[in-house]
Amino acid sequence: MLRRGQDSIEAVRIAIGAIRANTARGVLTTLGIVIGVLGVITTMTAANGLANNFRESVSALGTDVVYVSRMPWIIRGNFFDFRNRPRVSLREVERLESRLPAAAAINPTTHTERSVKYASETIDNVDVIGTTDKQMLVSTSVPETGRFLTPFDVQANRRVCVIGSEIRNRLFAGVDPLNKQMKIGRATFRVIGVMEKQGSAGFFGGPNFDSQVFVPITTFAKNFGGSQRNIDIAVKAPPAVPVGDFEYEVVGEMRKLRKLAPGEKDDFSINKMDSLLEMFNNVMGVVLLIGIVITGISLFVGGVGVMNIMFVSVTERTREIGIRKALGARKRAILVQFLFESAAICLIGGLMGLLLAVGVTEIINRTLMPASISPGIVVVALLVSSLTGIAAGVVPAYRASRLDPIDALRYE
Amino acid sequence: MTAAAAVPALALHDVVKTYDLEGILVQALRGVSLSVANNEYVAIMGPSGSGKSTMMNLIGCLDVPTSGRYLIDGVDVSGLDDDALADIRNQKIGFVFQTFNLIPRADVFKNVELPLVYAGIAAAKRRHLAEEAIERVGLTDRMRHKPNELSGGQRQRVAIARALVNKPSILLADEPTGNLDTRTGDEILEVFDQLHRGGNTIIMVTHEDDVARRARRIIRLRDGLMESDLSAGEDRARSPHAPAGASPAFAPTGSGNAVAVAAGA
Repeated sequence: MLRRGQDSIEAVRIAIGAIRANTARGVLTTLGIVIGVLGVITTMTAANGLANNFRESVSALGTDVVYVSRMPWIIRGNFFDFRNRPRVSLREVERLESRLPAAAAINPTTHTERSVKYASETIDNVDVIGTTDKQMLVSTSVPETGRFLTPFDVQANRRVCVIGSEIRNRLFAGVDPLNKQMKIGRATFRVIGVMEKQGSAGFFGGPNFDSQVFVPITTFAKNFGGSQRNIDIAVKAPPAVPVGDFEYEVVGEMRKLRKLAPGEKDDFSINKMDSLLEMFNNVMGVVLLIGIVITGISLFVGGVGVMNIMFVSVTERTREIGIRKALGARKRAILVQFLFESAAICLIGGLMGLLLAVGVTEIINRTLMPASISPGIVVVALLVSSLTGIAAGVVPAYRASRLDPIDALRYE
Repeated sequence: MTAAAAVPALALHDVVKTYDLEGILVQALRGVSLSVANNEYVAIMGPSGSGKSTMMNLIGCLDVPTSGRYLIDGVDVSGLDDDALADIRNQKIGFVFQTFNLIPRADVFKNVELPLVYAGIAAAKRRHLAEEAIERVGLTDRMRHKPNELSGGQRQRVAIARALVNKPSILLADEPTGNLDTRTGDEILEVFDQLHRGGNTIIMVTHEDDVARRARRIIRLRDGLMESDLSAGEDRARSPHAPAGASPAFAPTGSGNAVAVAAGA
């Protein structure tokens, strides 16, 4: 046991000495490993960042909320099977509400796209959402300043709106938007609140929650044509009722409302955050796979480079190996020595890759999205680089350990 | 005295070494028997191709005999595997080479320490033993110098310190003065004399008569066989200056056929 420990300490010392003797060569050799590790870390960090970003932004939808809509969020199968479904109407919302337990929160929304305008600033194609005060019950996002819609705003068809943080930034640069009159389409609305920043699920085709404008659903109907529009109903399960059970209840009540016979298919869809997450995970899976394959290739190429340099190193030091053997080095001692050297080269490459990755992450952080390198990723990267080193060193180290001491001593 | 004292430091019994050079069997040693007691100082001589290098490799446990037995301190080492031989070299043999064979990147201390590392000795004890060995060859002030910062004589002293550091049974020197000028060579031979007086067993391979005469016993090889095994005095009486002064490199043709190939390697 003692002997093994001594071997390892000595092997580390020899490895460091050997690498320092040939610094430039070592650095060039590790380039592939550097890029590989940079790839590992960046891929994983970016994936983590995207996942966090996505989870944060869809968390506004709430995990205990199911959405009753005409269409599923993610259409699988034949689109024409869904096309002829009836719209969800406001009347259905009222009737569903009366059938569900009182503790359940229910909120109808409808939406359209309009240009919004304040002073000389215009933003086109803004997601305008007609909703009610109950939005606050089914969503986790709250106003940052001002207030959200009240029951009175809805009942009285008031021309008031709550804007997303991005709308505020773009439309009201340097101005307090509260109580300002802005145009939505052709109608004028008074700004009564600004929502806190959500983060965007936009690059997955999801909604950008920060560039929405909320108006009372009643006002919406009057100004943007309500009766023809499709309505989505958000229903939040009462406390202590599992969302899965509640989902069945909602489906049952909707089927009764629609008078569907037992054998008939649903002519509406139940949507959940889970289904978005599922889609996201599928996409991320593919992205990660591609990242890992590319990284794997670069690590492989890097490993081959290290193997090559280890062969050179063994050949250069044939005489040294002979000396060590004459002095009593066992085969294993020589093997371990060169394995350590190879692992050390790659570990240094891994550390350099890690350092670069810290920089790249910082750039991502500042430009794209919040991202940080987790300790787990660091461990994985360093482990991967050392293992690459050991794998690359096996054949050269084995060859070194098998050298005949007489031949090795005679080597010029 | 006791039975243990009677056990020779090394003993060769009818040792044969045959090399297979691409299908041609070459007999480098053709049956050599030899016994060296503790604290003997033996020179092995012979012209190129006499089998002297082969014999040195066998004695140094760098190689194993094709047949015959080789015992160190009474232990048969002729059939051991590579790792067992490595352990024997580490514990029982101290090598001193013609070309010093120091590790260029390591300083004096690390070179001397190396056999102790392979012996699995703890760092503190290694330091103590290595410093002691370096002191014995008078290089304490050169401890942190690299080999290329030392003179040839100093390098050979480092090699001697390294050979002694594990307190081996046999000090095996292969042309230890071959790369040194006469004066430095004499200094090194002086060190060997001291070591011999201090109780070490020394076997020295050389082709120089005046170097060999520092030993107490001279063994001459020719064509893979032992030609003579005499005390230094007897050897001097039997072979006066004439043949020894000339270059012994070319053995007469005829029986030299087999060994010439071995020498060429």
